[in-house]
Amino acid sequence: MGATMIGERVKRLEDPRLLTGEGGFVDDIQLPNTLHAAFLRSPHGNARIRGIDLSAARAAPGVVDAFSLSDGWPDAPPTIPVLAPVDGLLPCPQYLLARDQVRYVGEAVAVIVAESRDLAEDAMELAEVDYEPLPAIATMESGMASGAEVLHDTVPDNVAVRWTQGIGDVAEAFDGAAHVVSDTFRMQRYTGVPMEGRGTLATQDPVNGELTVWTSGQWPHTQRALTAALLGLEEKSIRVIQPEVGGGFGVKVELYPEDVLIPFAALRVGRPVKWIEDRREHMLTVVHAREMDIDLSVALEADGTIRGMRCRLLSDQGGYFRTLGTVNPSLAITSVPGPYRIENYEGEVVCVLTNKSPSSPYRGAGGPEAVFARERLFDMAAREIGMDPAAFREKNILPADAMPYDTGLVSVESTVVFDSGDFPAGLQRALDAIDYAGFRAEQARDREQGRLRGLGICVYTQMASVGPYESAEVRVDGGGKVAVVSGAAPQGQGTGTALAQVVADQLEVPLDQITVTFADTARIPFGVGTYASRNAVMAGSATLVASERVRDKAIAVAAHLLEASEADVEWHEGTARLKGVAEKSHTLAELAQAAGPGGNRPEGMEPGLEIRHYFETLDAPFAFGVHIAEVEVEPETGDVDIKRYVAFSDCGRLINPMIVEGQIVGGIAQGVGGALLEELVYDEDGQMLSANLADYQLPTSLDLPNVEISHEESPSPLNPLGAKGIGEGGAIAGHAVIANAVEDAIAHTGARVRETPLRPAAVWKLMQEAGAASS
Amino acid sequence: MDNERNIDVTVNGRSHSANVPARRRLSEFIRDDLGLTGTHVGCEHGVCGTCTVQLDGETVRSCLMFAVQADGAEIMTVEGLADGGALHPIQEAFWQEHGLQCGFCTPGILMTVHEFLLENKGPLEEEIRHALSGNLCRCTGYQNIVKAVETADRLWER
Repeated sequence: MGATMIGERVKRLEDPRLLTGEGGFVDDIQLPNTLHAAFLRSPHGNARIRGIDLSAARAAPGVVDAFSLSDGWPDAPPTIPVLAPVDGLLPCPQYLLARDQVRYVGEAVAVIVAESRDLAEDAMELAEVDYEPLPAIATMESGMASGAEVLHDTVPDNVAVRWTQGIGDVAEAFDGAAHVVSDTFRMQRYTGVPMEGRGTLATQDPVNGELTVWTSGQWPHTQRALTAALLGLEEKSIRVIQPEVGGGFGVKVELYPEDVLIPFAALRVGRPVKWIEDRREHMLTVVHAREMDIDLSVALEADGTIRGMRCRLLSDQGGYFRTLGTVNPSLAITSVPGPYRIENYEGEVVCVLTNKSPSSPYRGAGGPEAVFARERLFDMAAREIGMDPAAFREKNILPADAMPYDTGLVSVESTVVFDSGDFPAGLQRALDAIDYAGFRAEQARDREQGRLRGLGICVYTQMASVGPYESAEVRVDGGGKVAVVSGAAPQGQGTGTALAQVVADQLEVPLDQITVTFADTARIPFGVGTYASRNAVMAGSATLVASERVRDKAIAVAAHLLEASEADVEWHEGTARLKGVAEKSHTLAELAQAAGPGGNRPEGMEPGLEIRHYFETLDAPFAFGVHIAEVEVEPETGDVDIKRYVAFSDCGRLINPMIVEGQIVGGIAQGVGGALLEELVYDEDGQMLSANLADYQLPTSLDLPNVEISHEESPSPLNPLGAKGIGEGGAIAGHAVIANAVEDAIAHTGARVRETPLRPAAVWKLMQEAGAASS
Repeated sequence: MDNERNIDVTVNGRSHSANVPARRRLSEFIRDDLGLTGTHVGCEHGVCGTCTVQLDGETVRSCLMFAVQADGAEIMTVEGLADGGALHPIQEAFWQEHGLQCGFCTPGILMTVHEFLLENKGPLEEEIRHALSGNLCRCTGYQNIVKAVETADRLWER
């Protein structure tokens, strides 16, 4: 029996509990005697703190504790570490609570713990902080201007780090070019905005002293390590459990101050303490992403062949560098060349501090920014040299025989090496799916009648997993049921179903005999978590190897029981049997019982039908895709209507195509949201103008298209499943493809799209300005 | 506690009589007092639709109502959909069509769809999209939710 479950559109094992309201999200966990925390937060973008007086708050009804940084840490308060540093990064870390200065609206200043959330919030009104407001830096330009307010004494020009990296001889490439096309692109600040905000519940076991922390997160083991380090505790005294998580999209891959302060508060008061973020807190304090200004140039031969590229990227980092603050700019600068043959490239990164919530990865993490700039510039370049944008891409895309292709670039996460795939064939499939030639003919005809139809193409690659490892344990109990425990920490992706499919193929047992659990530091000692599209590759491979070894062990036990050699035992539908003698067989349950301690197993064999495996690798596979969108722009209003959306993807071997397609469409929704609607807006004083879901526009069911999906499966040679992640591809391509389609619809007016979001007013203004310029 | 009021409500067919503070929101009453945590809270300002429940057969945002305003009402939450172990046809359809990922917004969407399908048979895609437009989902892009509503329309004999 070969693989039968991998590749199947299996209904998700997670769904019944979620559909009936039985899922256990962090706020659904209700412990007796729980206190509730509220955070006193800065109303200023930038201010010195002259004093904090919590005495009236402490005396308020129901208040059990209230503390500032100096109350909690009178001597040397710890700061949140940077986990992926780059050379030259100047220190600008964040304390768990503001010490003597606040640097963004919403930065936590004090914690109040009371018998209920209402009482904690009532008491907050009585807390007094004496602020001396300072000029706020609301844009990267103002932060880099001479004489600008300095946000950190350690960073005299508000540039926390700058670096360059590249390949080949860029000067020569540009000197000898027939054409050089350059432009500047700006992507706005936007972020993940999961429907469930952040939240933490912590309690200390009165018997053994263990601190248990439930957090809506994405990396419980890292959270445990960092919490222990910041609180000066031993790791083994902390248990972090990630319950059901209502979306993460990268913004919960972070050690937030609250993640540490809630356990700290629980230790102080000796009772469970819970904090559930409200939506305003979320918009103000969740990590932000995307805001970059990108200067990009491409040097071309007369026939459109790319000779080289130059990029200068300014990344708005907000008020502090947090754990993963370098990741977005690093992935962006190494994603610019993408799936094209570009042998001469130089990129410069400038990380600027401003009075905004700190920035950190969100779905795509630098990919959307880089791909937006590149794919925009390529459309402009093609237009400038009179070439069709599809033909321009066909000319420069890497051929299949170039694989594996080492770009020579290295990010803080991995080397950029494309491991497999036929990129030109994928581009052709997407062009065929949308009937590219047919569209161009219709577009010209419709334009004469005043209809503004446009088509955008986006070709992209994405880092499709990241190391260094992930864990999985596969254990068969005496009843023959299989339990999988992994250190991965999914947030709704359906990973439990995918891993069960992997196990079902190896052990040949039905899915309903398999349970999969995740993200509990007490259940598995090491784990990395869920981000960077890594679950299928990392947790999937760990599960595959563990379940193969469980089967091998079961066969060894069967051979022992049957007094046969292992070579004479075969595995068939969850049982081991003597080859050719069907009645000489043992079920999985019997084998698990025999393998148990005190059972009947081969001498020297470790007891237990269980294997824990760590799949370790530093090599990241890369997925590839082509998205093509057709839009129509309403000439009177600038409103953009997406008419068709084609998505071709190659993410290696598909474990569950239904889940993969859900990830693709969901990612596209976020890319389209960024292209058309979403923006975290700050005014010149550093006040956020979009701190609720009425002002921050998430896409609704009326804003998004039905996506037409196709796949190719080029197995990755880098892992035993042949898988590549795809969770971020839609968010990467979705933004750029809509921007390209909108420009294509209005390019004949002379309008050029250089920034997003393309809300109706912005598109209308582009058309008006272009029209005014041309008349 | 000051400012408490007694309310009588029926939730998923079961009667409850409770003293609640005047400022207690219906969402808090359902989740914290009754322990029905299937109703989730996503924004607390009435935009996302996650906390949607049915009050006397009509959808409301339970984060925008005080519990005292529900006095005398019949409430249905997501926990009231399935019949014992048997999923409601709407739930079956969402399962079949992969109409959910993280599942956080799902209870509110199920409540909205239940009301919509009781009032509409054989709805067009455009009508379904309008009906869903007050419920935000950040995971799915709505495509499979729309499909799930179409499937539920076929599965649910009503």
